[in-house]
Amino acid sequence: MGIHDQSYRRYAGPRTEPGAAWSVIAWSGIRALLSRRLFLLVLLFAWSQFVVRAVVFYLSANFPSMELIAPSAQTFRDFFDQQDFFVFVVTVYAGAGLIANDRRANALQIYLAKPLTRAEYVAGKAGVLVVFLLLVTWAPAMLLLVLQTMFAGSLAFVRENVFLVPAMTVFALLEVLAATFAMLALSSLSTSARFAGMLYAGAILFTTAIFQTVRGVTGSSAASWISFSANLAQVGDVVFGIAPRHDTPWGISLLIVVGLIGVSLVVLRWRVRGVEVVT
Amino acid sequence: MTDPVVAVEGLSKWYGQVIGLNDVTASIPPGITGLLGPNGAGKSTLMKVVTGQLQPSQGRVAVLGAPIWGNPSAYAAIGYCPDQDAFYERMTGLEWVAALTRLHGFDDDAAAAAARKALETVDLAEAADKKIGAYSKGMRQRVKLAQAIAHDPRLLVLDEPLAGLDPLGRRRTINLIKAWARAGKSIIVSSHILHEIELMTRSILLIDHGRILAEGNVHQIRDLIDEHPHKVRIRTPVPRVLARRLLDLPDVIGLSFEEDRIVVDTGRPDDFYSALTTLAAEGEIAVDEVTSPDDSLQAVFSYLVKS
Amino acid sequence: MLSFGRAAVRVFDLSLGEMLWSRRTVFMAVVAGGPMVIAVALRIAATSAAVRLTGSPGPSFALGGPDIFGLMIWAFYLRFTVPVLGVFYGTSLIADEVEDGTLTYLFSRPIPRGAILVGKYLAYLVCTSVVVLPSVVVVYFSVVPLFGGSVGAGFPSLVVDLGLIGVGLAVYGAAFAFVGARLRRPLLSGLLFIFGWEPVVVLVPGYMKNLSVAYYLQGLVPHAAPQDEPMTLLRSALQTFDAAPAAWVCLLALAVIWAVTLGAAVLTVERREYVLER
Repeated sequence: MGIHDQSYRRYAGPRTEPGAAWSVIAWSGIRALLSRRLFLLVLLFAWSQFVVRAVVFYLSANFPSMELIAPSAQTFRDFFDQQDFFVFVVTVYAGAGLIANDRRANALQIYLAKPLTRAEYVAGKAGVLVVFLLLVTWAPAMLLLVLQTMFAGSLAFVRENVFLVPAMTVFALLEVLAATFAMLALSSLSTSARFAGMLYAGAILFTTAIFQTVRGVTGSSAASWISFSANLAQVGDVVFGIAPRHDTPWGISLLIVVGLIGVSLVVLRWRVRGVEVVT
Repeated sequence: MTDPVVAVEGLSKWYGQVIGLNDVTASIPPGITGLLGPNGAGKSTLMKVVTGQLQPSQGRVAVLGAPIWGNPSAYAAIGYCPDQDAFYERMTGLEWVAALTRLHGFDDDAAAAAARKALETVDLAEAADKKIGAYSKGMRQRVKLAQAIAHDPRLLVLDEPLAGLDPLGRRRTINLIKAWARAGKSIIVSSHILHEIELMTRSILLIDHGRILAEGNVHQIRDLIDEHPHKVRIRTPVPRVLARRLLDLPDVIGLSFEEDRIVVDTGRPDDFYSALTTLAAEGEIAVDEVTSPDDSLQAVFSYLVKS
Repeated sequence: MLSFGRAAVRVFDLSLGEMLWSRRTVFMAVVAGGPMVIAVALRIAATSAAVRLTGSPGPSFALGGPDIFGLMIWAFYLRFTVPVLGVFYGTSLIADEVEDGTLTYLFSRPIPRGAILVGKYLAYLVCTSVVVLPSVVVVYFSVVPLFGGSVGAGFPSLVVDLGLIGVGLAVYGAAFAFVGARLRRPLLSGLLFIFGWEPVVVLVPGYMKNLSVAYYLQGLVPHAAPQDEPMTLLRSALQTFDAAPAAWVCLLALAVIWAVTLGAAVLTVERREYVLER
């Protein structure tokens, strides 16, 4: 009769390759958010514009008298503009606590004690926000384009506006990455999700209010570089091939958006640490 | 019989679908009462209900004879030291304790004097003017105690007051609690560490999974556990000889050896002690020491939680 | 046991210092500093005559100092600063204490719970007024003298503006104190109210606009809105309204909103059970 070893045995099964740990964090964050009914409601509302536009697309494709409301490239640009509000709401709702809550619970050091680099941690957290923000920007926009083709029964619109697919992708990525990293950076600065949300909302709204005030006083939109939202809108116009709406050169707006992402990454590099060394 | 300081009847508390307290009925007498149970047992919930922080989902709670929920006038006689490590970090210990004492109706000078006295009592006089944010874990625990005692309450409710303290701090705090009890205060103190409670009081309330498992004196509780054999440890130079004699006794239901000791399991401890005394008095077998490991709170608690 | 009023004053004493030196005050200082920077920049620009404030396109025009001040009061202070501070501070009155776990220390004192909210609300009012109102005064003295404006002539309007901002802080603060006492996610709800609900409902014909604070605040703005094109554009961008009710109606409505929401907040805190997060 053989005697079996009952002592502790190390796990000998397959392991995920190093570098993929971020996906575990991302998936757990996504699942956690999807389990909240209020968040699902926000996502549902975020798709309301999609529904309205889909109906309009259907009517314009099937009723000749409705040609006046037929979609154009501008329609898709407007769609992104009007989704900005939901980008803001989802960013604050889903993003404010991503790092702040871990810092509050002292979970950061537990995460970073695992075979997980800081970059993977940040990538995992960013993944959560990126997924949901793309879900309210890029995904409905692309689906609208598909619906337009299906309702029209022709690829003519897509052929005429073939730049729309890369334009929507590039702009959505730029918008999503800027919002994601700015929110994560602010979240890493605090142990309170609420305070991080306030900082983000304050930064967005304050810069816009200052811009609007200066614009009202000077009658010129040359100071649009002050506003985070105005810079994105400016770059968006260029990406969609339409005339920029503000007087600031679009290159400066792009520089500011990219600079914001860069600064956010620096803040994250500085703040996401397992142990804080106090000197 | 003296009136209980806290009387709880049919008390249940739910957090959504999670039950915190389940049909709890208990009567806490004056003096020190230890609230004992593992983490998540419902100790803090019970304390929060008793101090009026939480509303009972069902049942009645009277503290010092008055209903507590929504009755802030009753809070004047209560000092509560919560378990959470939360403070106004930018205030000094003195400012904080004095400000909270002012909310009891003390004027500025009286509140400052009471705060200073309370801080002296918990050995924080020297750090009174330092910001709480700069306090060590032990100091934070003590300043929490200070705010609970500054207004000289009749009842102190202390939730895990020894958590995070070093051994010296624990000893000091235990002595303080005993001193407050001697000064006539009633104290409810919680812990999940058994020997800490044992050092403060023999009067306990055992709680687990939101239910009261037992209440009263440790010995009384032990006597109630009929289905569990009582262990008696006997040191003797002749353990095997003694063991043979003990096996003849009807009260002995089990026996084991431990070096120079034997451990006897008995279902009726009083009868067994009587028989053992008779045996020792005969002088044939030397009995050097008789102890009962079951007097330890740990044993009582283990039995009750397992049952 | 302390009376409601005395208890509120003592909570106010306890809270004011905490609130003034909180992280949020840094944000508030930046918010209050923004228009001051604009005012100083305008002053420098006007003095050096390097920039001419003109509208475009169309015939050239220049806003006078009082017009610029009026614009800043409405566009920056009343439509941005006041509601944002109301949301950020008002929703935090109780939520901060819950989140930090310090509410227990206040709730275990022999004082009415509602007095805790009122005391903290008073601290909010003083704290925000102390930071925002001086900023308005600085902007006034920097901007009004520009392009021929008279500081003396516009002074009564400054006093009204200061009062208006005070009223705005009081009403928004009370409304969001209620939101903060009642809801689990007060910040998002507050932001949705001021930047989602209010701008939309004031454009909807009928009585919908009566369900906003901004509608009544606008009715109290004393500055005559310039009719030139840039101002019209700005008014349109800011979603202001053309038919404002009479001043007394606005004041009465704001008083009712203030009393109802603050009363509801007090009742909520008195009755609601707060389960601390840690």
